[in-house]
Amino acid sequence: MKKILSDIYKNRIWLLMVLPGTIWLLLFSYLPMFGQVLAFKKFRIHPDGFFASVINSEWVGWENFEYLFSTSDAWIITRNTLVYNIIFIVVGLIAAVGTAIMLSELVNKKLSKVYQTSILFPHFISWVIGSYFVFTFLSTDHGLLNHVLGWFHIDPISWYSESKYWPFILVFMSLWKGVGYGSIVYLASIVGIDRAYYEAAMIDGASKWKQIKHVTLPMLKPLMIILTIMNIGRIFNSDFGLFYQVPRDSGALYSVTNVIDTFVYRGLMNLGDIGMSTAAGLYQSAVGFTLVIITNYIVRKVDEESALF
Amino acid sequence: MKKRLILLLALVLTIGTILSACSGKDSATSNKEGKDGQPYEIKWYTIGTPQKDTDKVFKEVNKYLEEKINATVKMTQIDWGDWAQKSQVMINSGEPFDIIFTNGTEYVQNSQKGAFLAIDDLLNKEGKDLKEALDPALLEGIKIDGKIYGVPTNKEAARQTVYTFNKRLVDKYNFDISKVQRLEDLEPMLKVIKENEPSITPMATFKAYLPFDYVFNNEMPFAFAIDGDREHVINQFESDLAMETYKTMHNYYKAGYLKEDAATSKDSWPMDVENWFVRMGDSQPYADSLWTRAAKYDLVSVPAEEPTTFNDSVSGSIQAISATSKNPEKAMEFLNLLNTDPYLRNLVDKGIEGVHYEKNEDGSIKDLPARIDRYNLPTYSLGNHFILNLYENDPKDKWEKFKEFNESAKPAPTLGFHFNSDPVRSELASITNISKEFYPALATGSVDPEEYLPKYNEKLKEAGIDKVLKEIQKQFDEWKSEQK
Amino acid sequence: MPKELQTQSSIAVSHSTNEMKGGGAKALRKKYRDPQHLHPVVNTIISVLLGILAVMCIFPFFYVIIISFTSEESIVRNGFQLVPKDWSIDAYHYLWGMKEQLFRSYGVTIFITIVGTIISVFMITFYAYAISRPQFKYRRFFTFLAFFTMLFSGGLVPTYIVVTQFLGLKNTIWALILPLAMNAFYIIIMRTFFLKSVSESILESARIDGASEWRIFFQIIFPLSLPGIATIALFSTLGYWNDWFTALLYIDEPNLVPLQSLLMKIEANLEFMRQNMDVAIMQSSLFNTIPQESAKMAMVVIATLPIAVSYPFFQKYFISGLTIGGVKE
Repeated sequence: MKKILSDIYKNRIWLLMVLPGTIWLLLFSYLPMFGQVLAFKKFRIHPDGFFASVINSEWVGWENFEYLFSTSDAWIITRNTLVYNIIFIVVGLIAAVGTAIMLSELVNKKLSKVYQTSILFPHFISWVIGSYFVFTFLSTDHGLLNHVLGWFHIDPISWYSESKYWPFILVFMSLWKGVGYGSIVYLASIVGIDRAYYEAAMIDGASKWKQIKHVTLPMLKPLMIILTIMNIGRIFNSDFGLFYQVPRDSGALYSVTNVIDTFVYRGLMNLGDIGMSTAAGLYQSAVGFTLVIITNYIVRKVDEESALF
Repeated sequence: MKKRLILLLALVLTIGTILSACSGKDSATSNKEGKDGQPYEIKWYTIGTPQKDTDKVFKEVNKYLEEKINATVKMTQIDWGDWAQKSQVMINSGEPFDIIFTNGTEYVQNSQKGAFLAIDDLLNKEGKDLKEALDPALLEGIKIDGKIYGVPTNKEAARQTVYTFNKRLVDKYNFDISKVQRLEDLEPMLKVIKENEPSITPMATFKAYLPFDYVFNNEMPFAFAIDGDREHVINQFESDLAMETYKTMHNYYKAGYLKEDAATSKDSWPMDVENWFVRMGDSQPYADSLWTRAAKYDLVSVPAEEPTTFNDSVSGSIQAISATSKNPEKAMEFLNLLNTDPYLRNLVDKGIEGVHYEKNEDGSIKDLPARIDRYNLPTYSLGNHFILNLYENDPKDKWEKFKEFNESAKPAPTLGFHFNSDPVRSELASITNISKEFYPALATGSVDPEEYLPKYNEKLKEAGIDKVLKEIQKQFDEWKSEQK
Repeated sequence: MPKELQTQSSIAVSHSTNEMKGGGAKALRKKYRDPQHLHPVVNTIISVLLGILAVMCIFPFFYVIIISFTSEESIVRNGFQLVPKDWSIDAYHYLWGMKEQLFRSYGVTIFITIVGTIISVFMITFYAYAISRPQFKYRRFFTFLAFFTMLFSGGLVPTYIVVTQFLGLKNTIWALILPLAMNAFYIIIMRTFFLKSVSESILESARIDGASEWRIFFQIIFPLSLPGIATIALFSTLGYWNDWFTALLYIDEPNLVPLQSLLMKIEANLEFMRQNMDVAIMQSSLFNTIPQESAKMAMVVIATLPIAVSYPFFQKYFISGLTIGGVKE
């Protein structure tokens, strides 16, 4: 006991530093976790407030999960979440690294700066605004795309009800927003590469292409691996705004736009089914947790310092 | 790692219990408030865009209420578009408040979940006058498992769907609209409009109407026939009527009578923009004059069906007392007064006389600009209509006509029957999604029903519609036998 | 200076040195085809490709600006045109009509963005710094404490209860600030940053000189970590500026509605009207203030403009901050 106290005293400065953050974490993150037990309960409201409701609601075991997985939705949202994220990771990586290399090789550095600033713009835009941007192109009567189709005598398409286009639109929008940020992370790393490597390569008579292949890409490899692994760890989470606001919550598109995050949100907000939506959230956390543990294990193997814990 | 997890869990649980204990004490102390002489503050949540003069008006309201029932009211409006989400979170979180506006399936779900107080006893005591003032059909229709969970608003209790026309165009081309009964009857007129009025969309987007009594809503495939066999639930999308109606709609769509994005359009076709010829809507007595006033050009309607009292038409506007209310008796006293006292009802609805409206000598009223700018409240969501002052251009017998309309309506087969969906909820979740996908496209004629209707029904079969139909029938039969 | 530190700070300037190098090489390049530089044709192709990408990224914003200056009739008749037939400033007139609310919302957004960013930067850097120090005995526990929240969230309704019932923040400005003040992800980023950029040796020498940990933090660590802090600050600025959801949950008072939330509200009200046409029609006087397309686009413009004109200025810090984890020996 005495030892603990003296340890605390020794670490008092550090403890003081983490104090505000710890209070925040306890209040806004840990305290609400209490609500997760609702995944195993049939929620009934009790007059004495939420805690009383939680305590007095009847335990139903795995019923909420059984219900969740008996619907066709469970499969659809899992599939959508995973497949979209895999595509985002792969396409995003290629686009970001490609753009970064192009930016770094550009002879005119001023132009390169202008480009960097432009492609970074979407990163600063919320999806609320982004959805308006998309709407100006896809609106059935007013939109630019249907207007352009008109020049080629193609009938207008009602974009917001044709699900077949949306996988492409979503991947495109994800790239649109993400490529600037991604490429600048890689660009910063390319700039940091010691010029001596390139000079050595040039003495060996390596062409530009060879330099990229044998110097730039290998130097970027660790970063690519770390970022990709970190993305894989979050593969069960998705960008809510992209899947909810950009398709304007259109029912006809649910089969290709519904992901776990939007499902949880709609389950609570539209159906008021707090038990089922908590169960879905818990399912997401549990799978996500496992994935992170696995990826962290791999990260540690690759590069100990980048491991999260 | 495992150790740390357990430590965390322990921490969370401890804090949780400590805080819940604290909150428990809190509620105990606030419970006393309002019972020892001090006026009790009634928290009232209702729908609509928050208004600038709410505080000003409620100062008057509270002056009156303190005198009458020793209570004050804090009314909070939640914006239209935020309402569904916000009220859902508020109710589920068990937030302490007294009265909340609710309607339709929201009312049924939340009552079944225990969010609202059963008010049968309160209605017999504190709400005695109120009970007498209400149309009995309203109270009958909102019973859930034999209990009443809210105070319905005394207004039109029945629903009648009508076709509404732009009168200028009807007169211009000399159409005989009195013969219109079914969707097919519109064809010749739409054709003329399409050919001669390029700036007019012949049909303001609407979803073709199938006259059934719906267990949930018109999107879901569970309905009872209004005429004929009123005892058995069917999937209305398998009826011939559905095929015929959607075929007609599809022809209209192909002919360009509707906008191309009808199925997903977010356009609400505001009345004051004169860019349409015919639309569909729910009517009430003197609706045409009301709409004409809003549109600022003439409108004329013909009924598409007889007025019928449906579950959703009686539950269109309800004030429920929350299970978390600290003083339900006071809340009921207030609701009682709000629905029976013309002074209070008009004050809450129209604002302060001389500031928000003016009274003419014959007792009719006229809005002042402040009412529109600073205190524009929705009438339907507040309370009894029949004690409201009439506007100067309202017909004098407006409320009598309402009562007649209500009396003339015949009850729908399921009036008072509320399905408990727990046993089939996973089937319903799938069916809801399927319907969201198919219904808007079919009902607006955007797709060919010959192809899509069978596809839709097949998907419904796969999702287990038969099981749900059976369960509905079972619960309906039980309910029916209890009625006798 | 320790080696790690040098790399870190050299990145901020590496852009400029690089340019200088490029400039010096320019004269040479004309004579020899220097493999350090691209073939002119390839360079042109790349320039064009990147140019297209750059235009795609900013074009929508200019398009929205154009639409906001299009007359409503022109939109109804011709759709959103790149060069509208009828220009008009009606949309901005309309916005001027609701200037009270608009200025109010602007004010709220700016206030929560500034105050929120300051609070979260302090909370995050303190926390991250402490858990990055090997002297801190409980660092593993506190790292895990933060990290765990990345995986399991409490869910919406319980969080709502904490904010409204325990903290009593409903309808206060703090409800818009506190719930977004921390983010475990940023803590982890910052921790990695400190681990890599702050070496023990420099702290050791400061400690020997008798500096307290607080002094070390503010006089040595803080200036050294500016790029990282700038990155976190930018993340939270964006988070606050773009947030609409917290307001949806916790704010009923029109006086406290931030800008993005106002935009969402308009769209949500339209959606409500569409789904409840009977109500909308019966109560049409309530909805006569719904803006038209051009006005909505004008709102998008004014909500985006401050970010659009300011981000190029702090971009520099942002980029150097991003090298965290990027550069490794």
